[in-house]
Amino acid sequence: MGRQHDPNRSAAVVTAEARSGGATFEAIYDRHAVGIYRFIYARVGNRPDAEDLTAQVFMRAVEQLDTARDAGQIAAWLYRVAQNAIADYWRAFYRIPMVAADDWAPRWDPADTGSQQAPASPDGDHATRRVEALLRRLPDHYRRVLELRFLQRLSVAETASRMGISPGNAKVLQYRALRKAALLAEGAADG
Amino acid sequence: MAERHELDAAERLERYLDPLIAGGRPAPEDTPDPADADVARLAAELSAATDPSRGEPDDAFLEQLRRRMRQADEGIAAVVVPPPIRAEAAARHEATAPQTPGAPSPAGSRRWSISRRQLLQAGLGAAAGLAAGALGASAIRPPDASDETGGWESEGGLVAGEGFWAEIATVEQVPPGSAVRFETAAFSGFVVNDGGEIRALSSVCPHMGCTLHFRPDWHDLRCPCHGASFDLEGRLANGRRRWRERGEYPGDARAYPVELPPLVRPRTRVEDGRVYVWTAQA
Repeated sequence: MGRQHDPNRSAAVVTAEARSGGATFEAIYDRHAVGIYRFIYARVGNRPDAEDLTAQVFMRAVEQLDTARDAGQIAAWLYRVAQNAIADYWRAFYRIPMVAADDWAPRWDPADTGSQQAPASPDGDHATRRVEALLRRLPDHYRRVLELRFLQRLSVAETASRMGISPGNAKVLQYRALRKAALLAEGAADG
Repeated sequence: MAERHELDAAERLERYLDPLIAGGRPAPEDTPDPADADVARLAAELSAATDPSRGEPDDAFLEQLRRRMRQADEGIAAVVVPPPIRAEAAARHEATAPQTPGAPSPAGSRRWSISRRQLLQAGLGAAAGLAAGALGASAIRPPDASDETGGWESEGGLVAGEGFWAEIATVEQVPPGSAVRFETAAFSGFVVNDGGEIRALSSVCPHMGCTLHFRPDWHDLRCPCHGASFDLEGRLANGRRRWRERGEYPGDARAYPVELPPLVRPRTRVEDGRVYVWTAQA
């Protein structure tokens, strides 16, 4: 069954760890820290915030998580807390409403408890494919400005000079491109 | 070509994108127009998806968080108000918890496990601070008046040695509005006098573990690293939520953007003019 763990076995392992005491949290942390971080990073897009929110999830786990639950429940709990932390982040930090459904963002199946330590980031791969698909659907100049800024990480000034336009126009162009992309992403989620 | 409002929106978005694309945290005041919330989220997700290298957590961060969790866990163990733990309960627990032969659990882990489970079952897990806070409210009172601690401390060997009352200061040393910093082998904290009520608080910032500073002018504990402030009940005082609900916090020029859990509050008692804090055995 590939990299998927036998859920029953995982549950037994975690329960045994829980009963043996002190190692429990570290075991849960070792199993999930990287996955939770990736999950959050894919949605907030910057390291400082991803680290803060990851810390929030695990510090809450120390306070609230009943470590005697089985592995699937623990994973589901952690990812639910992460999802709420992200929602709060957008709500409080940016004072914007957060749609309940995680519509565009790459999805992660919390039930897939065995593969959180998977070598490559499934989240990342998935997201990259979606971005490529999204960019392909944009008009050329929109795609170009987003490629220069996001893929090549150029500044507005550099982007503008590559495209032979003024920095002011580059800002408007990237704004329109992102708006269009957001519309397309929304449509993709609906369809 | 572009309308005025579109130029403004494009400008605001760029102020948000610039730090994001550079790999940093966009400043809260540089958020795009709320109407462009979906655009901001898309940009954040694009930024993540196009730079997977940053999607991998930093090893130092992971280690630091592990240490913080361990400390917090020990903090919870230290401030737990243990329900009466009886020998039968322990025996029952033993019976249902098969230990791997030849792999003795470290000393204390069994006690830890029990008190943690019972803490959660008792619904006190929301925050150790809350559990401690309930007692903190009645911290100043003569001990031993059929105090629950008298019961469980002397009872059974199971929890004996788990913690002890550490003498921190005399009451005269903590006049109202002041604080005394203390360290025990297991715990770093402050004893504060909050308008006559004496209580203990962790001195470790729950953000990154920096040591907080007491600021008498603002009646708060301030983190020198990133500017979080906690009131003398241990709650984040300059968080965005509190700013929204209660207006600006006077001690800060801007709201602290990240939600943080309250400071751990170990039990405190005042007896014969001395202040004691319940602390874990190192």
